[in-house]
This record gives sequence, structure tokens and C-alpha cells, in this order.
Amino acid sequence: MLRLVVTRLLGGVFVLFVVATVSFFLLRAAPGGPFASERVVPEAVQRNIEERYHLNDPLWQQYVTHLSRMATLDFGHSMKRQRTVNEMIADHAPHSLRLGLMAIVFAALFGTVLGVTAAAKRNSATDYTLMVVALLGISIPSFVLGPMFIRWFSLDLGWFPPARAEGFEGYVLPALVLGMIYAGTVARLARAGVLDTMSQDYVRTARAKGLAERVVVWKHALRLGVIPVITYLGPATAALISGSFVIEKIFQIPGLGYYFVDSVVSRDYPVLTGLLVFYVAFLVVLNLVVDILYGVIDPRTRDAR
Amino acid sequence: MRIGVTVLATVVGLAAGGLAACGLPDGEYFGVVPEVRDPRHLRWCNNGQPEGLDPAAVSSTTATPLVHAMFDGLTRYGNDGYPEASLATSWDISPDRRRVTFHMHDKGRWSNGRPVTAHDIAYHVVRMLHPLTASPSADHLDWMKGYDLYIERRGAVLPGAAGGLPAGTIVEITGWSGKSLAEHKQAKASLPDPNQRRAKAPLALRELGAAPGAAYATVPPETNVTLIEISGRPASIDNPDGQPWAYVHWNRGDGIFGWVPLAELDGLPNGEVRYRVKPVARNQIPGLDLPLDELAADAKLERAEVEVTGKDLVALPEVLGVRAPDPYTLVVEAVGPAPQIIETSASRALRPTPREAVSRSPRRWAQPGTIVTSGPLHLVDMRERDYLELVRSPTYWQPEDVKLDRLTVYSMDDQAASTNTYFTGRCDAIRGSNVPTSYLPVLSGDKRGGKPYADYTVRPWLGVYFILVNTKQYDNVHLRRALAFSLDRDLIPRVLHGNEYGVASYTPGTPIAELDDADLAACGVTRDQRGVALVIEPGALCYVPPPGLEYDPERARQELALARKEMGARFPRTIVYKFNTGVESHKLVAEYVQAQWKSVLGIDVTLESQEWQVFLADTRKQQFQTARLGWIASGSEPYSQFARNWRCTSPNNRPKWCHPEYEAILDEVVGMTDPRARLRRLADAEKVMIEEAPIIPLYNYTQKHLQKPYVRDLHINFIDQPPLWRAWLDPDWKREK
Repeated sequence: MLRLVVTRLLGGVFVLFVVATVSFFLLRAAPGGPFASERVVPEAVQRNIEERYHLNDPLWQQYVTHLSRMATLDFGHSMKRQRTVNEMIADHAPHSLRLGLMAIVFAALFGTVLGVTAAAKRNSATDYTLMVVALLGISIPSFVLGPMFIRWFSLDLGWFPPARAEGFEGYVLPALVLGMIYAGTVARLARAGVLDTMSQDYVRTARAKGLAERVVVWKHALRLGVIPVITYLGPATAALISGSFVIEKIFQIPGLGYYFVDSVVSRDYPVLTGLLVFYVAFLVVLNLVVDILYGVIDPRTRDAR
Repeated sequence: MRIGVTVLATVVGLAAGGLAACGLPDGEYFGVVPEVRDPRHLRWCNNGQPEGLDPAAVSSTTATPLVHAMFDGLTRYGNDGYPEASLATSWDISPDRRRVTFHMHDKGRWSNGRPVTAHDIAYHVVRMLHPLTASPSADHLDWMKGYDLYIERRGAVLPGAAGGLPAGTIVEITGWSGKSLAEHKQAKASLPDPNQRRAKAPLALRELGAAPGAAYATVPPETNVTLIEISGRPASIDNPDGQPWAYVHWNRGDGIFGWVPLAELDGLPNGEVRYRVKPVARNQIPGLDLPLDELAADAKLERAEVEVTGKDLVALPEVLGVRAPDPYTLVVEAVGPAPQIIETSASRALRPTPREAVSRSPRRWAQPGTIVTSGPLHLVDMRERDYLELVRSPTYWQPEDVKLDRLTVYSMDDQAASTNTYFTGRCDAIRGSNVPTSYLPVLSGDKRGGKPYADYTVRPWLGVYFILVNTKQYDNVHLRRALAFSLDRDLIPRVLHGNEYGVASYTPGTPIAELDDADLAACGVTRDQRGVALVIEPGALCYVPPPGLEYDPERARQELALARKEMGARFPRTIVYKFNTGVESHKLVAEYVQAQWKSVLGIDVTLESQEWQVFLADTRKQQFQTARLGWIASGSEPYSQFARNWRCTSPNNRPKWCHPEYEAILDEVVGMTDPRARLRRLADAEKVMIEEAPIIPLYNYTQKHLQKPYVRDLHINFIDQPPLWRAWLDPDWKREK
């Protein structure tokens, strides 16, 4: 187990290094710079800006500064806003995290229940209906589902606030909408996973021993059947936590997703590279968690790695 | 089986319920009207995150009402949007309208207790115009003496006699090291800054007159700093201890400013550079009074260039037409007659900012904890893209004018989210531009048989929406006139549902039918007349724009035939119309224009949309054939707000239209002092422009406001600058009905 963790972490560091490097060079290759605007900036100000962001230093020097800053988790200062990238992440990540976690929990629970039920009643009407629901969840875009939910549950019924995510009830609607897409995929994966495990020997053993069908399915088959779900949810969590631009716009949640898009459009180099490294770091950690969970869930994989 | 059925039933039930709920909100008011919990706490849905709260760094409608609530000015925007006295008790305007002397009272206070003085305003003016600040609103002061040169760092003063010129001469830099500025520009060399200084010893940056121990930053030896101001000189504050002090900028990180004794600055990096200078025209010299015609003649004189060295020359605030002869008197001077000075006195360009806070953190001082305010409200909390929290300022000099104890501003840049928040009763009032177009037919009652909601009001907004026509490509005036004549503006309110006022004339205003009797008299119109009128001073001064090219399909086709003949092969087969994304109504207008030009003129129109920043950049470079644009005014003076944009050299002149008669009349206008004669001549110029059709006006903007019925005194005015601090909530609103 320890070897697993260490090798994964080292691999993660290497991945972060590659991401930081590639994004550094790609951004600077894109046309237009952070200060290409229709406003003519006065000479003196232009000079100040170039000095402050070292835009006139030789490229290799900028790169080395960039890497050493990344290593100390100092993501630098935004070129467009009066804040440091660390401040932006500290201020806005909690919103995205809250939203993402709620969405994941919903997606995991709802999707698993849907998928396992469908698997237990394979090829019945229930199975087909539930899989259609899952498909709808995957297919209906969030910018359709979002306003629909706002209309029904906020404006008409008044149960939840329509925007701004104030308090726990403010996160319910956006989490539902965000999670629905993942819930659909989870449902299909859970169904497939459970179907697969249902034909395994140990499940037959459990049935032969006389356990109730419900226990067989929900305790024994589910445990291993849920592996594809976990594999999927690991990276999905990273994506969710780094913010969903569309949901944040519809529900006016001040999360990180907005800055991912905005920093690309305005070529705000420090913000973009900082956010990328943040996101990749999460991805690495979550993949590690997934790998550890495999070991916990499936004894057969525990020491084979 | 049971689980499955339950799930299925839930899903079907939800769907059915959803379809059933497709009705419209009933009732008198739009949405929930909650109980008033705190009559002195207003929750306001604003149209986005303000780009900042520093008066020198903002320009959006999102930020400006908040800035005006936090920083008091000589005048402030009253309930009707016109300037009313605030820090200034009275003002004298010189007969030639080139100088205004403001007399201030001594009751204004910053939130740190210090009195607000005329020196704070002079400091802010210098800040606004200094290149280091790069203020987006610097052009609010472009009438001021010395503006052109100071903003380009080409204006300077000779503190001592040099080059045969007496001490105190204000000069213009025209070259250096033997070559002119133009020659250096070709070689891409930039002007060496005569204000660079350095010291052999470390510099302790501190407040004026403070001891070195009280320094908040120390500049290392032999590091360049930029000199901004010297105490004891005209336009600056007095010497604190009989000795001149220097206010300098150190370019570390975000930059930092501070005072040091002038004597400590012993190094001049550009002291030996040989600059070519010449004295400025007399109409640029502050304090100099001459009759207008003499000044006009003098401005045309050729002045001799002389050579001086860098140590003879320094760029100081005294080249600008702003003076504070005592702490409660401010004098501003313009190059030519400037009737817009009084309304500029209410704008952010003349609202003082606190030097002690700005100096320590020029880019981040306007945040909770470090911000120092002088207005009715003070900032206590701010979360980006979430909300701002302002409270009643304990140090404001006129507490009886302030009804609010707390103002919560929600920064909502999504129009639908904002209106939904209002609907569910979570904010009490919503910004006028924040209602989506698709909600308008519902709000105006069109969808429920003409029963509008009682909390929805539509008011005029001083702005005009028009089509730009690229006059370099479409250089035939008959073609442009044909395009103008073929648009039926009466259709526009039906397209946009916001009671927009369709016009063919350019300068916007209030619809004549809505004027009160005093204004009707001042404008010289009768209530049954079509069109709009711009009230400059209520009941006293009014500008009626000349009529434009109103809808006339016959004339449109005649003009088109002429254009076809004259243009021959160059006549366009299709016309491209550009608009920017992000606002629903632009697309609706584009489709309307496309339909009209096709049906009346038979011309095919291709629509193109672009993201706002790209659209701005492209249209500025004339990369368009026709395009939409809107112009929202920040004041009611028609030359500076509207007419000037179509002058040959105006950066806003995207169609690149240049007409000698228009220029000639406007040159006359800028020299006129009689307000009514000036307005008449302005109308002559506008007539020339509208007949040539470089732009085709479509409608005057309107503001769509939603306010809960218990909100009182949240005044909506034509420039959308509500005095927020006067609002309050009435828990007894139901009884009054």
C-alpha cells in the first residue's frame, strides 16, 4: 500500500510539472497578449506592466521563475484583477467545492440506487424505464434543466432560492442539476457493474446459502459492482470541484468555473496556469484515492499491485 | 418492483406538475412581497460585479452609483439626476464660462476623521490625469487647461529661468536630443522622463511633514522614483515646515507613493538630457485672463522652441487648470467656454479620494478594512461576484439626508438570475438594465390582457441606440439616407417590449409628451409634438434635437435609385450588420433591421455577431459595414456628450465620417458663451450630421425598474444614478393603500 501511494504521488508531481510547462508555452504561443486591448495604454503604464510581470525577460528566465513559483504554490498575481491567484482560489474554491461535493453525493446515491434497481429487475419494465430516466439525465443539458428546476421549485413552489446559493437550501437546486448528468452515467455504470458481478461465483454462493435476494444484491453484488462507478467518479469529482461554468452562471454562484473561462479569454496567464495546476493536483489526489479504494473494496487487488 | 414503481411514479408526477405550472404569476405585484423586517436595510440587485470602487478607476454603470454613495463631491446627483450642492455651498461662473470657483463648507469629513478639503480634490484631479493611474474616465476633464499635455507627459514647468524663459513658464516638450517627437516616434524611442529622481541615501516614504520613523516604506539607495508633486508650489499644498517636500512614486510591486523632503532627492537620471520646449498658448495658462478673441488669435501664434536640460524641467500639477487657493476654495479653468463644468463637478472625475489611503496601496486601497470614505455610506464587506455590504457612515456631514442604515448589494451579472431573485422576494429592488428582454412582455402585462404589474415602471434613460454606417465603404450619402428612411421606428417597442422610444433624431432626451409644463415652456414645444427634448436645466434650459430621417418608404426607394446610379458596380449586393452578443435585444433589433431593409429596399442583409470586446475592437478599426452601437450619457450637456463624437478626430467616430461644415459649426460652438445661442448653433450642426446619415438613430433607451411596493425614495432618474442612501422601506405600505 505504501509503495502504491508513494509511486502515485511521484507520478503526480511529474504530471504537474508537465502541465505547468505545457500551459506556459502554449499560452504564450497564442495570438494576442494579456494587454492587447483597444485601449492605448500610456507608455509609462506599459513599461510598469512589463516590468511587473517580467514580460520582457528572456523566455527561459520567465519559465524558470514560473516553475519555482509553482513549486512553492505561489501562483502569482492576476494581470487583470487586483488580486493574487491564491486569494482568488481561496475565495472561490469553497463555493465550487460545496457545490461539487453535494452534486457528487447526489449523483452517487441516486445513480447507484437507480442502476442497482434496474440491474436487479433486469429486462423488466422497471429496468427500461429507469434506464430511460438515466438517459434523460445524461442528455438534457444543464442550461435546459437548470431554468426548468428554477421555474418549478423556486419561482412556483418557493422551496429554494433561485440564485446566489445562500445557505444549504441554496445549493440544492444547482447540485441536483449538476449531479443529474453524472447520475445518469453512474446509473448505467452501476447497472452494468452489478449485472457483471451477479454472474460471479461468490454471488451464487451467497444465494445458495439462502440469503434474501435483497441482501444478495445490495450487500454482496453491489460491493464489487460499484467499482466502475468509483473509477468514473474519481476524475468526475475533480471536474466538479473545479467548478462548472454553466451552472455557476445560471445559479449565480461565485465559484472557480467562471475564472477558468475568463482567464482564457483575457489571456490572464497567472490565473490560468494557477487554476490548471490546482485542478490537476486535485485530479492526481483523487485518482490516488480511487486506487486506494480499489484495494479496500476488492480484496483480490489489494496486494497484487 | 416497489422501488421501481415509486421512482417511476415520482418522475411522472413531477413532469405532470411541471407542465401544469406553466401559467403566469397572478396578482398585482411581480412575485413575492415579503414582510419588511428592517425598514432601514435595503437589498439591491446590481447588474454585476463592480470593476473597482476607486473613483479614479471605474467607469461602468455597475460601479458608479456605489462610488457616488461612498465618496462625496462638490455636487452630487440629486433625485432627478441633476447636480445639487453637496460639499460646495455655492459657485461662481465667469462670464466667458472658462472658470468656475467653488466655495466649500468645512463640515465634510473622511471616515478617519480628517476634514475634506479643496486640496483633496486637486490631488484627485492630478491622480485622474496622471499616466500611472491610466484612469478610464480621464476624458471627463478634457476641457481643463493643460489636459492634453499632462496626460501625454508632454507638459512641464520651468521652476527656474532657463533657455531665455522666465521662471514658472509652462512649456510643451517637442523633442529631445536634437530630434523632434515625431522623429523619435518613428524610431520607436520613448520620451525620457524629466521627473525621474533618485537618492544616494534610502528614502523613507511617509506622510507630509512626518518624521522619518513614521515611514511606511523605504526606497533603497540609487533606485529611481517618479516625482509627482512638490509642496509649496501653485496647485499644491503648503510646505509643512517651511521646506518643500516631494510626493513620489516607487515602482515596486503594485507601486507605492509617499512624501519625502525635496532636498533628499539629489539624483536626476535624466538631468543632462537636452529637451526641446516651447511655451504653451495663453489659453492654457492657469490664472491668466484675456478676452476670448485675443486668446483665439494667440493660440494660432507660432512660438519659438528653445533647448533646456532635464534639470531645468519638471512636470508638475501646476500645468493643469486646477487651484486650491485655500483649503475650502477650488478654482477650475477651461481652455474654452465649458458649460459642462457644473455637471462634471458631480462626476467621479472630481470626487476627492484620500491621499493617505491611496498612497500606501494605489490599486487595493478601496477594499473593506483599508478604504477611507467621505460619503453617506461606508463599505464594510465585499465578496467578489457575490455581494457588497455598505453601512451608514458615522462621519458623514449630513446624517439627516441618510435614511438607510445598511445596504446590501448583490452582484448579479445574469439578468434572469437577478430578476428571479427579485421575484422570490430576496432582493427589494433591481437595477434598471438588469431585466431580461424575454420577461418584458410579461411585466408590461401584454401576456395577461394589458394588466402590468404594479411594481414595474419604465422610465426614460438618457441614451440613444443607433446603427453605424462605415462611410469609407458606403461613401454614397444617398445609400445611407435610403437605409435611414426605410426603418419604421414605431415598430421598435413591439420588437423589444420595453416601451423604447423610437426616434430618428440623434441627441436623446425625454419624450416631449412626458415633459412638465415648465420644461415644455423652456423647450419651446407643445405636448402633442413628436420626438424628444433634452432638459439641461429643469425649467430653464432645454435642447430640442432637429428631426431625423423619419420612416418614408417612397423616399427611401428614390434615394436608393440615386445611389444605384451613382455607385454603379460598387453598389453592395448584400450588407453585413454586426452586433455584440450578451444582450438579448441586440439580436431582436438586428432581425428587425434585416427585415425592414429587405422588404423596403430589397437588399439582403447578413447578420454577424461577436463577443463584446472583439466587437469593440473591430468596430474601432472600421472592420464593419453596418453595426449597432449605443451611447448612454453621463450628463446632459449636448456638445460634450453627443455632438463631439462625430468630429473628424474623435476616437469614438467609428464610421470615420468627416464633414467640413460640421467641423466649422462646432468650432464656432466651442467658442460661444451665450447658452441659448450655443444650443441653436448646435442644432444647426446636428442637422448637417443627421442629413448625411453616418449613423442611423433607432430609439432612446428606457430603464425597466422593479421595486417592491414597500420601497420608498429610491429615485429613478434619467442618467441612472439613484441616490441610494435616501431609500427606506415602509412596513406600513399596505395601510396606505
